[in-house]
Amino acid sequence: MTTSIDLAPAAKSHRGSPLPTGAMIMTRFMELRKRRGLMIALLAVNIGIPTIFLSVRVIAHAVAPHSYGPAGGYDIFESLVAGVMYIFGFIVAATLGCTAGSVDLTEGVFRHLVVTGRSRLALYFARIPAGLMIIVPIVAVGVIVVCSVCVAAAPTKLSFDGISNLPVGLSRQGFIAWAEDHPKMTICDMGYTYSGPPSSYVNCAPNGEIVVVKTRSGSLTTTQATKAELRAQAIKSAVQNYASYTTTFLSPPLKLMIETGLWVELWAVIGFLIGLGLSSLMGQRTVPVVLLIVYEIVLTPLLSRVGIPHLINFQRALVGLAMAHIEPAGLPAVFGGMRGGGGGAQLLTESTTVAVVVIVAWIVVWTGLGAWRMATRDA
Amino acid sequence: MSVTAVDEASSGARRESDWAVETHNLTKRFGDNVALDGVDLKVPRGCAFGYLGPNGAGKTTLIRVLLGLTHADAGSMSLLGYEVPRHRDVALARVGAIVDEPRFHAHLTGRENLQILAAAREPAARGRIGPALERVGMSTRADDRVAKYSMGMRQRLGVAACLLGDPQLLILDEPMNGLDPAGMHDMREMIRSFVAEGRTVVLSSHLLDEVERTCDAVAIVDRGHVIRQGPITELLSGANMEVQIECSTPDAARQLLAAANLAEHVEVGADGLTISLAAGSDRSVVAEVNRVLVDGGVSVYRLQLNQASLESWFLEVTTRLGAPQ
Repeated sequence: MTTSIDLAPAAKSHRGSPLPTGAMIMTRFMELRKRRGLMIALLAVNIGIPTIFLSVRVIAHAVAPHSYGPAGGYDIFESLVAGVMYIFGFIVAATLGCTAGSVDLTEGVFRHLVVTGRSRLALYFARIPAGLMIIVPIVAVGVIVVCSVCVAAAPTKLSFDGISNLPVGLSRQGFIAWAEDHPKMTICDMGYTYSGPPSSYVNCAPNGEIVVVKTRSGSLTTTQATKAELRAQAIKSAVQNYASYTTTFLSPPLKLMIETGLWVELWAVIGFLIGLGLSSLMGQRTVPVVLLIVYEIVLTPLLSRVGIPHLINFQRALVGLAMAHIEPAGLPAVFGGMRGGGGGAQLLTESTTVAVVVIVAWIVVWTGLGAWRMATRDA
Repeated sequence: MSVTAVDEASSGARRESDWAVETHNLTKRFGDNVALDGVDLKVPRGCAFGYLGPNGAGKTTLIRVLLGLTHADAGSMSLLGYEVPRHRDVALARVGAIVDEPRFHAHLTGRENLQILAAAREPAARGRIGPALERVGMSTRADDRVAKYSMGMRQRLGVAACLLGDPQLLILDEPMNGLDPAGMHDMREMIRSFVAEGRTVVLSSHLLDEVERTCDAVAIVDRGHVIRQGPITELLSGANMEVQIECSTPDAARQLLAAANLAEHVEVGADGLTISLAAGSDRSVVAEVNRVLVDGGVSVYRLQLNQASLESWFLEVTTRLGAPQ
């Protein structure tokens, strides 16, 4: 240590700047990364659970392929991403945010940091990149694991409405042509929804025969369908089912995987930032974590689907609903179980523009509230 | 040290001052409770300065206000010549402080905790981590987790954290807390060595004996007021002196001293009497007491002058001046 001191005034150090330095970010990253329990929870939920689930399926399918289906595939991808990673990823990201936002206060280190003369805003903002450096790669690894297994261990044949020999990736014309070649399978398995009560319709009889059912004066007459009737009905079924067919894959398409990865990452980032802001505002960790779990598990599913008179606009301001509206097409609606992009029919309606504005507002408001409180609170 | 580039704006904010800490009419309230009530304090540069007061007197509140941990309701203050809170970032660049007890992230090592604090200072602070740990005697335990540290080790680590900014001013709040006698001795020596290097150390404590041994000057605070401040020697010279007398006839001695008007207060005991001399009395008064007693026929067996200690003086001024009116 020095034995004499420099009595000159302090050098210019930009301490008053709200921007954190690289060293501040890296040391904050180190502080979070070395929280063993938190890191184990993050890894377990985002990587461990999907890995174990897929591993079990891989082993089961290898041991008894007739009893257990393929480990991967499009359906498994949907279930894991929208059912597990999306919801629990938010919760663990929020927990990380709550930790980052409160530990300096609860562990008594905040005052030591303030005494350095460094801007309180810089101390706060250093936590954002530090936390994102943890949560973003972990979520990315989890998504990559799921995508890899779902592609590598995808089924070799498509199963569409119980039809197992339907080729993958047919064009509309190709799909119709396949239906013309397989009219019985098309009519019996794909089904067809009439727009109104028909006077006659083609149906699949219990014995597998295709019949034409006619209603006349309240009585039903059944006749064997001709080849022309079979062909016409098969084409109608194919046309009606093509949209659904296009969202059915052996394995998730690359575009869907990328969009889904970004969507899950965005939700995790939002969870982290809300947790950071809320815990900085409250000065503690436990209560904000509980509040965010309740918000994610209870309030969002409820308020996203049940319209409450006079509160509709409030419900539309929920970030969970906004995220559901920008969900990639091809995933089931979160919390709703309805297939189809844009969140499905069960969700309250909201334009994409409004959804984006709501998401940006949540990020800005919670980050701002946390920063304001950290700048003004007694240390 | 290598700090050469001086920010002109910062220099402009600084005025030459003999005081490391200067406050004027500083006031801080918590609801109806006035924690600081118009505090005027001047801490000279290059000394160890004790800031004393009973529990709840406002010692830690003053430190927190000075360091910007909480805001003042009224008054002005400066650190190292910089007006704060206006220039607190520049002022605190050369200040190291422990407020309350030193607390750290328990899951990190001592060295990692210092890395976090160094990162919030200037880049050169990282290079001071090793020397700071060595100076406080923590080099061998620096890579252990703080959770395993004793209170004394945390105090040392807190001092090491203070040194990261190569401070001109150290503010230590109860630094002797939790230290064993050897640790207190080491801390005392360390503080004196800081002063020898030209640094100013402000020491808040209620361990009066330690403060008397460590500090050059003190301020006494009670109920939010600074009621006395100055060099210890000057302050104690203004305190009453006490003389213990063993003699043959204490009652007769009391009457003789009362007639001679030499003592402010006389208390008679079984073996003799204890008298208080007026503040500022010199040793010749003791000789005069002896002469009056002997001339009056009282046999004096022992006569002992007790110089006032910081503790007795502290109790005297805090009970006399700090008591409710």
